[in-house]
Amino acid sequence: MPHDFLLSRRSFLIGCSVAASPLLTPVTFAAAKGDNRLVVVVLRGAMDGLDVARPVGDRNFAALRPNLAAGEVLDLDGFFALNPSASALMPLWDAGEMAFAHAVATPYRQGRSHFVGQDLLESGADERDGTMTNQRDGWLNRALSVIPGADARSAVSVGQQRLLILEGEQDTQHYFPVSESPLSLQGQTLLATVNAADPLFAEPFAQSRQLALDTMGMAAPKAKGGHAQLGSYVADQLSGASRIASLSFGGWDTHHSQTREMADQFTAFGELVFAMKAGLGRHWGSTLVLAMTEFGRTARENGTGGTDHGTGGLMIALGGALRGKRVMTDWPGLGSGDLLAERDLMPTRDVRAFAGWALRDMFGVEASTIGQVVFPGLDLGADPRLLL
Amino acid sequence: MEPASLLEEIRFGYGPRRDAPQAAGGVDVDRVLAQLTARDPQGAAWDQPRLAQRLSLIAAATTQKKTTGAVEAATGIALKQLVANDADTFLGRPTFAAAGFVERLVNLWSNRITVSNIGGKVTRFVVSFRDDAIRPHIAGRYADMVQAALWHPAMQSYLTQINSFGPQSEAGLRRNKGLNENLAREFLELHTMRDGYSQEDVTQLAWLLAGMMWDDKGMRVDPRRVQPGRKRVLGVVYDDSDPVGQINRMVQTIALRPETARNVAFTLARHFVADVPPEGLVDDLAATYLAQDSALTPLYRVLLSHPAARSPDRTKLRNPQEYAAASLRLTGLSPADAAWPKLARRFPLALTAMGQAPFKALRPDGWPEVAKGWMTPPMLAARVDWAIDISAQTTGQIDPAAMVDTALGPHASALLKQSASRAEQRWEGLVVLIASPEFSRR
Repeated sequence: MPHDFLLSRRSFLIGCSVAASPLLTPVTFAAAKGDNRLVVVVLRGAMDGLDVARPVGDRNFAALRPNLAAGEVLDLDGFFALNPSASALMPLWDAGEMAFAHAVATPYRQGRSHFVGQDLLESGADERDGTMTNQRDGWLNRALSVIPGADARSAVSVGQQRLLILEGEQDTQHYFPVSESPLSLQGQTLLATVNAADPLFAEPFAQSRQLALDTMGMAAPKAKGGHAQLGSYVADQLSGASRIASLSFGGWDTHHSQTREMADQFTAFGELVFAMKAGLGRHWGSTLVLAMTEFGRTARENGTGGTDHGTGGLMIALGGALRGKRVMTDWPGLGSGDLLAERDLMPTRDVRAFAGWALRDMFGVEASTIGQVVFPGLDLGADPRLLL
Repeated sequence: MEPASLLEEIRFGYGPRRDAPQAAGGVDVDRVLAQLTARDPQGAAWDQPRLAQRLSLIAAATTQKKTTGAVEAATGIALKQLVANDADTFLGRPTFAAAGFVERLVNLWSNRITVSNIGGKVTRFVVSFRDDAIRPHIAGRYADMVQAALWHPAMQSYLTQINSFGPQSEAGLRRNKGLNENLAREFLELHTMRDGYSQEDVTQLAWLLAGMMWDDKGMRVDPRRVQPGRKRVLGVVYDDSDPVGQINRMVQTIALRPETARNVAFTLARHFVADVPPEGLVDDLAATYLAQDSALTPLYRVLLSHPAARSPDRTKLRNPQEYAAASLRLTGLSPADAAWPKLARRFPLALTAMGQAPFKALRPDGWPEVAKGWMTPPMLAARVDWAIDISAQTTGQIDPAAMVDTALGPHASALLKQSASRAEQRWEGLVVLIASPEFSRR
């Protein structure tokens, strides 16, 4: 965090009265240039892309999924069909505000561990074995260093857990509503003093006090209906100064009872998306949401009504800025010999390429910079023309 | 049990208790190790029913439901009470136990070999996992701990092993069911090796583990689900003659590999000494692990003898459980206080806000073991909220300066002493102490 910001926070906490603080104005953080907004959703647990956008036109699909693929589906483009439990999202598809990238993956190939896969998805590193970059930072954070006119403080990571994707040298915001302090001003000042004296605590503590001011009177999201609250909260931030947000959406690890679990997931995901759309209002038209997962799941359903960890997966793109209503894929097929290690959907494109193109299209980052700084070693490939 | 010194309480326990005696001096290796075999009635008071009792209670409920269509009231209440008492142990046991080193180790190894109740699948077993699979082995062999963990119903359920079928097994063929690799993978990645295994090893290990199960009679292997034929894991061949014996032979073999030694050594050093532990210490611990057949007490001796473990510099951050327990120990709050029940009801939410929902680690690799994992503004705000809640309920004529002395003794900075003394009210002075970085460090 730039020093002037930190110093002003500290002097506020120690010396100023609340009313005198310039930091209490709603626009506390500088904005990135322009009107575009990017939301990256990390779908944790490895979403089964083959069950979300089902390749019903592939003649080998039904045999791999005798139970999971049974029943009616919602046609998308004649080849792919949407999981019937996701019907609430269908209007977005019809309006051209939803698209999929199928058979995509990070470079992670030498394992199928959730946490390595998620770390890699968020770090954007180029290692097949999932090795992290030395600095263990996130690609959105690195992107902030190269977005023209960007201020890291316009990026916000939302939720009780922080996200690796926004971690790194650029200091970003982490929001979660916290309650007002009952301490006297003197007590607050003394507490600020002892915390400012410790290099590890100084900055996050100052930010936590700012957070208390920013969210005064707001209720923390509850578990039930929390996804709609979370969506509204992200929308609020993006309607203000923030232009980039990232959040975590878990629960996709469907080793068993997948049909039921997927239905619950889609309900919650729909709540999140529609709350964001409603909250953003006219800004939805300049918003792109990329929902990515650490890897896909096995092409075959397993013996417990679910699927196990796989490789090739699915990205969901949403937003009013999106050129949607299409499935972007170089479909590898599902026949024998088509699958990776005879078990997983073969990835035909690096999922990081879509994030790379989004950064170029939305924030004007040079393609060469993306391959050097944001996703070292990535070949961006053909332009998917994500935006309208 | 001999009282611990202040530094021992801070670094190897849950902090000093305001009302307990204290030894002079720094870290005494033998004194700390003596906790491993000492009687600790204050800790044992939090013992919960063992696995066999839980299984028979659950079996009774199942039988009642089958025969009469409903669970008898007494059984239902017993089950509810079991879960409620289990929940209380997370913070209660470390707060009141005398052998802080023992409780720290139980929590450390339960985190290295994580069973999480996220989703509520192992509600009735998560505390039994700690007390039946981990606790009996903290001063034994790691190989035995990881073996007990592998077989425990909580692990079997958490990593969905219970439904894995050998694809060519009798039951697998008949019911067209197959493997579930979850446990096999995390066993290699998290519980043992971390490095040096391949996907093929995971698959072969999943074949070997297929058929593991538990019911009210305990843990065993269902022969109808065993994948026929030989399995080759990390170059060692296992046959299908004696599935339980073969699985245990696999555990004992992999637990003694150098990769596992490294993983265990690193885990231990990082937890107690530094987020980036000294390489030399990790090397020494790993060598000791291999030389001592994975016996853990010799590792603790190496750890406690290292200069970094004895230094007054406190570079590690207390995790939320450690932080909350340390503050309760400091204030001396107890269930006898009128404020306790209301306070205790808020414990789970408070810990969740600090980043550590009790028994609910987000991922199979457990809760963070480094400071950065607990340092976001919302989590720090939750620490302050906790400090306020606790301090406001602390009764009696507390003197903040004396509390600083109890908590940190000679390790407290002049700034902290001064700041705690200058508060407008006593309880606010206590907040300044408990929410200070110095109190969060160990």
